[in-house]
Amino acid sequence: MFKELDPLLHSQLRLQVMSLLVGVESAEFTYLLEETGATRGNLSVQITKLKDAGYINVNKSFRNNYPLTTCKITPKGVEVFEKYVEALQDYLNMDKKSSTQ
Amino acid sequence: METTFTEQESLRVITEMIENSKAKIRDNGFFYLLWGWLVLIASLSNFILLNMDYDKAWLPWPFLMTGGGIVSGIAGYRLGKRIKVRTFFDTAMIYLWYGFLATLFIILFTAAKGNVSWVVTNALIIALYGLGTFVSGGILNFKPLIYGGVFSWLLAIVTLFIPDLYSLLAVALSIVVAYLIPGYMLKSRYNKSSYV
Repeated sequence: MFKELDPLLHSQLRLQVMSLLVGVESAEFTYLLEETGATRGNLSVQITKLKDAGYINVNKSFRNNYPLTTCKITPKGVEVFEKYVEALQDYLNMDKKSSTQ
Repeated sequence: METTFTEQESLRVITEMIENSKAKIRDNGFFYLLWGWLVLIASLSNFILLNMDYDKAWLPWPFLMTGGGIVSGIAGYRLGKRIKVRTFFDTAMIYLWYGFLATLFIILFTAAKGNVSWVVTNALIIALYGLGTFVSGGILNFKPLIYGGVFSWLLAIVTLFIPDLYSLLAVALSIVVAYLIPGYMLKSRYNKSSYV
């Protein structure tokens, strides 16, 4: 039986954000914006969803009088991301088996 | 707007994003070159002034080191403003160099109190230079820094057996091998690479 994919992660932009954050200590909103190529509004909405789920921490501060938003993955976020990748591997292996049968 | 996507696509997204965020060597060697040149000038001028029997031969050190501290502070602040993502490598580097600075102050304080001779102090400082480049070379996966670190450790032992005055030349040699040469190599690698 293959595990179900976390619906919160199984969306392009949210998965992009989580994949970027899993490898670094923290990243600014503008960095995520550049790397994902998303729009400001859409990225902001998806980040809030990840934050509400407890997958990431969002820290709002100021730098030179400009607002600065920094995102950081939480231990829970790392855990669900690893589970998602595991489930994905299971799914792809199953796909391979059924195609060779 | 959300779009559903296939498992294959999601695998591609993960690989692509991890590739983008994985540690890129952004070090252009600036700090190695700055401190390398300052320490080289300070140690050589100290050596020359001692040979001229000048009673305040140590004078180049406080001036050059304070200047280096100010320039480093400004450069570090500017760098912090430019960097939009902080990797675990960055954090490791920051802790390494703060630890280096704290240890350096303790060694200098001990020497100033007259507890240890200047030849022992210089040997310890050379060993500390070695630690700094050895660990940062490991973090950056940059061999010239690692070799420079090992060279400094060997030189630190040799320094214990040479006359007091020449220990300053050992400091100069250590800084050339462990900081200036790898610093210029990092700089040329940075300029050649397409990463910004």
